[in-house]
Amino acid sequence: MKKRFGRMKICSCAVVALLLLCGLGAWAQGQAGSAAATTTPATTTPAMDVPLDVKAANPPSTEDLAKGDPEGTKTGTVNDIVVSDTKKGLTLADVVNQVGQNRIGINFTWTLICGFLVMFMQAGFAIVETGLCRAKNANHTMMMNFMVYGFGLFAFWVCGFAIQMGGGAPYSTLGGASSLNSEHVISFLGKNWGVFGTHGFFLSGATYDVGVMVMFLFQMVFMDTALTIVTGSCAERWKYIAFAVSSVFMGALTYPLFANWAWGGGWLSQLGSNFGLGHGYADFAGSGVVHSVGGVTALALAMIIGPRIGKYNRNGTPNAMPGHDIVIVLTGCFILAFGWFGFNPGSTLGASGNGALRISSIAVNTMLAGCTGSFGAILYMWMRYGKPDASMSGNGLLAGLVAITAPSGFVNSVSSAIIGLIAGVLVCVSVELVERKLKIDDPVGAISVHGANGIWGVISVGLFADGASNYGGSWNGVNGSVRGLFYGDPGQLVAQLIGVGTLIGFVFSLSYVAGWIMDVIIGQRVSAADELEGLDIPEMGALCYPEFVLKPEMVTRAVEATSQIKSGFRIAQETA
Amino acid sequence: MRIVGILLALAGWLIPLVGLTVTQSLTARFVLVVLGIGISLIGILGVLNKAHLKNAIWKG
Repeated sequence: MKKRFGRMKICSCAVVALLLLCGLGAWAQGQAGSAAATTTPATTTPAMDVPLDVKAANPPSTEDLAKGDPEGTKTGTVNDIVVSDTKKGLTLADVVNQVGQNRIGINFTWTLICGFLVMFMQAGFAIVETGLCRAKNANHTMMMNFMVYGFGLFAFWVCGFAIQMGGGAPYSTLGGASSLNSEHVISFLGKNWGVFGTHGFFLSGATYDVGVMVMFLFQMVFMDTALTIVTGSCAERWKYIAFAVSSVFMGALTYPLFANWAWGGGWLSQLGSNFGLGHGYADFAGSGVVHSVGGVTALALAMIIGPRIGKYNRNGTPNAMPGHDIVIVLTGCFILAFGWFGFNPGSTLGASGNGALRISSIAVNTMLAGCTGSFGAILYMWMRYGKPDASMSGNGLLAGLVAITAPSGFVNSVSSAIIGLIAGVLVCVSVELVERKLKIDDPVGAISVHGANGIWGVISVGLFADGASNYGGSWNGVNGSVRGLFYGDPGQLVAQLIGVGTLIGFVFSLSYVAGWIMDVIIGQRVSAADELEGLDIPEMGALCYPEFVLKPEMVTRAVEATSQIKSGFRIAQETA
Repeated sequence: MRIVGILLALAGWLIPLVGLTVTQSLTARFVLVVLGIGISLIGILGVLNKAHLKNAIWKG
């Protein structure tokens, strides 16, 4: 027993001694640290212009580099940093400037490449719309989609960009683009309302700036997406000259005006700071700005132009007018889904800093919503009509993508899946409503895909935004991250609904009045004879498929098959 | 009728804007904006579209 107590005493002493030693060590380190801390400012303030000893970085010699670098370990070293004064050599100022330029360079590259992807979406829209139209109008439909790019770009360069972004600076991810700093503000009901920008016409003057150019390219391709939506709803009966004038007007005024209110520092974006409504109208990549603007303009023009000959019977029941090529329709949908990875993740306007690494989350959200959108549509059609409809599956994919565009930067993956699924069902219901109840002829379903689902996307921000995103600490000048109703901020939902009200009330009215005036002056619709012949020869002067002969019995069978599905819908309605 | 439809659509847009300055209550603002959207939709889909359908090409 004594021996055991003796051992225990020795052990205890050893533990206590060890603890004391550790404590002493820690105290000594603390003292050294605090001493260093007190002396740091005096001794280690970096001199920015003193040459650095680059030998410590062990740069490869010229001889080493001449041998080649198959491992990739000698390329991209201290040798590659740009030196401002070669006599002096590399300084800390050079390194710091290089870091800043690298960040902006990453953001420029990211935003430009995403813009290129969005530009390629024009090809997707072109073949989706052409495939959903009849072969006799293919050249005309294709040419509208082709030239909308040029008409829109020209109008946007002349004045659209200035109206939209001319007062929204600074854009920190792109180095500021500080020359876009003049917003026209009006005083109304005791508050200041930003209405349109005034810098950047023709990209001249101080807006001849590298950051502004990146912003222009990215915003231009977004604007063009909105314009191309309208060509779908008015296809097969729209005068080409009316289309051209309408596109220029939309690219110059309708789109830029709403985009300014939402993205360019205008009054919708200030609903948070001016009226305490969440973070103001929040539309990450443009469900409202791009798709709803396109969708409600499509609705206005489709109403003015009226339905195609043969679309409705005298009793008002619709006839099916099947598209001529489902292969290019679905290929186009894939191209659009691919381009959407530029649309949504690119809207961070950067991949470095300000929470931009959220691009991964945004890309996954985009992918998920598109997937569940097509899933919702195919399920709806299968259950309701007994067949998985191909064109509606494609529209379901697009509907999911349209709906996730606004919330993609603010929501999590589960919410994305829900938003997409609802969009997939919504597009089917909306197509039926537009065609059967409202009797508005929309050959490609553009009003439902972009208008209805764009609005759903805007509302879903106000419901599902989870407060986990943080793009530089604030959004629309309000600190913190965007939260929807389900995450504790009902004010955000009200801000979103005001955006919806503006789209329906203002954007529709502006588009309708402009379209009406154009109808009176130049006429919107082709003659009945031209329409029956097909617009390829009368409007464009050439057939799209000159050696392509349609077999009448195949057309009849296709119409019958589609009519059976439609009659199934009628029976379902009557039973209900 | 077309003009009435457009005026209704615009009125529906202006109601919540005026409401923003008239009241601070979130519920009241919510009600006003939903009311405004409803009025705009009635103007567009009810009045304006009906005016177009009156002379629709398929009725001739």
